[in-house]
Amino acid sequence: MIKNLLFKYQEKRQLVIALIGALLGITFLISSVHYLDKINQYGEDSEILGKNTLILQKKVTSASTMGLTKTDFTEKEISKMKLETFIEDVKPVISNNFRVWFETNDPYVPTFKSDVFIQAVSKEFLDVKSDKWHWKEGEKFVPMIMPRDFLVMLNTFMNASGIPQVSDDLAMKLKFRLRISDGQKEEWVDTKIIGFTNEIASILVPENFMEYATKKFAQGDPGKITQIMVAGKEGEFGKLETYMNERGLESKNSQVIVSRLKSIVGTLFAVILVISIVAVFASGLVLIQYMQLVLSHNKYEVRTLLRLGMHPTAITKTFFRYFLIVFIIVLAAGFSFFILLKYFVDEIFQSGGIYMNEHISFLAITSIFLTFVIFALASYRTAKKEVFSLFNK
Amino acid sequence: MQIEFNKVLPKPLAEIDHSTESLWNSKVIFISGKRILLNASSGKGKTTFVHTLMGLRSDFIGDILVDDKNSKSFNIDKWVELRKSIISVVYQDLQLFPQLTVEENFKLKAELTGSFNSEVAFEKLDYLRLKDKWNQKCGVLSMGQQQRVAIVRALIQPFQWLVMDEPFSHLDNHNADLCMQLIQNRCDELKAGFILTTLDAKDNLSFDYEVKL
Repeated sequence: MIKNLLFKYQEKRQLVIALIGALLGITFLISSVHYLDKINQYGEDSEILGKNTLILQKKVTSASTMGLTKTDFTEKEISKMKLETFIEDVKPVISNNFRVWFETNDPYVPTFKSDVFIQAVSKEFLDVKSDKWHWKEGEKFVPMIMPRDFLVMLNTFMNASGIPQVSDDLAMKLKFRLRISDGQKEEWVDTKIIGFTNEIASILVPENFMEYATKKFAQGDPGKITQIMVAGKEGEFGKLETYMNERGLESKNSQVIVSRLKSIVGTLFAVILVISIVAVFASGLVLIQYMQLVLSHNKYEVRTLLRLGMHPTAITKTFFRYFLIVFIIVLAAGFSFFILLKYFVDEIFQSGGIYMNEHISFLAITSIFLTFVIFALASYRTAKKEVFSLFNK
Repeated sequence: MQIEFNKVLPKPLAEIDHSTESLWNSKVIFISGKRILLNASSGKGKTTFVHTLMGLRSDFIGDILVDDKNSKSFNIDKWVELRKSIISVVYQDLQLFPQLTVEENFKLKAELTGSFNSEVAFEKLDYLRLKDKWNQKCGVLSMGQQQRVAIVRALIQPFQWLVMDEPFSHLDNHNADLCMQLIQNRCDELKAGFILTTLDAKDNLSFDYEVKL
């Protein structure tokens, strides 16, 4: 009865306009938060390097081949790079200065051995769980991260040997070992693959192991620093790329492409996100304004109900519930539109060769929840203020 | 429940000369269960009295005591309780919902008090010769009919006081008599008192004592 009294005889046109605005705002908000999150996550599963991290080296030119220019980095150059505002951190990539062989050590796999090149990078640049990535003298296994190309090569060998190829998971269960030597003495260490990477061409081992092996088996002078790890600041990849071009530095091409793509598309969605927030905010305001209008049209009814003995909180709740239901419908419709939009956008990404995790982003769900909470608080406050102001009138 | 007006003077009436008999600026007690006539000419503050008593305006000096408790100390819950089940009011502007039917107006009021009895309400409406208006929207009724609907609505809720602000202003003597009879019966039934404001004391009104404004 009270709902009929308060809402049945209202002008609905403004409500429809507010609803359309809110619907569009919500749809774009969920979409932009979802894709912004997905773009940030893109490639994380296969990446072991931290966010915005590149491995840089100097371009090899005819001059450097003839020894006219150097391809290694000096301490001074590294310190200077650290001062750049768009660079978070710079550390050298340490390479082995001793001989290393990698071989299978499993009764179920035929023997395969190869000379390999190992490297160690500072732990802060790696995005691997620390409980897997550690080594100290006396420990049974040395964890290592294997270049995916190496697994492809291993599988080619398996195929040629007439035995089934190994998956990532199986490879991580097989036993391998490293033989390290300085030409006179040698040592065998068991090793275990804990992950694969497309970003680095060498086998990665923990820094502690590299220090141990270098101390024990290094030959001659310490190795030159030919590669460095650079962590760029969020959203400033463009500056880092310009810096690299100006100084003749290069990175693995795919790393640059992915970083550039993430930077550009991320910025695009960030802009859409800001527009969406403004749109949601504006449409929320229109809805709140509509609530004020309804309250204003119902001033006589509300005042009379109060005079007859209805509690102002009960009237506030009636308005609050009505607008909450309206907003829930808008959210549900916005979410449905997003699902529809997602289907087409994912298709576009996939046609461009970008396969993203299809699950709906947790952040997008959180944004819906947050929007709902903010609107609920604002509408309750508005209804309460207007109704209570009529109590003694 | 006893109501006491102690030196109450609404600010808009402060510049008017009030007689020594006037309610304003003096001490007047409304004794529980009594039928009281509040008689005054226009502009003396009959509606102001109702609004002040019901907490609809607070621009007055002095104190209103309800069972010795100062109304200025009442919180919202207390006012709601008073309006809902202790003091029933027939406002001068009736405060009906014109877009609702007579029955719906009764039901709405009863939803608040949980006391709606369709048969009793219909019986009272019939007594006032308005049973054919049961399903009609209040907005289409004449002022006299609306006054009678407002009276019935005030009577169907529980109360200790019935406050009526010129409730018969659009009624002929016969209909006013019928209404008065209904009011007397209901007050007897509930052992409640009433305060009735009027422009002039009519012969047909029965009351215990008179208060002037």
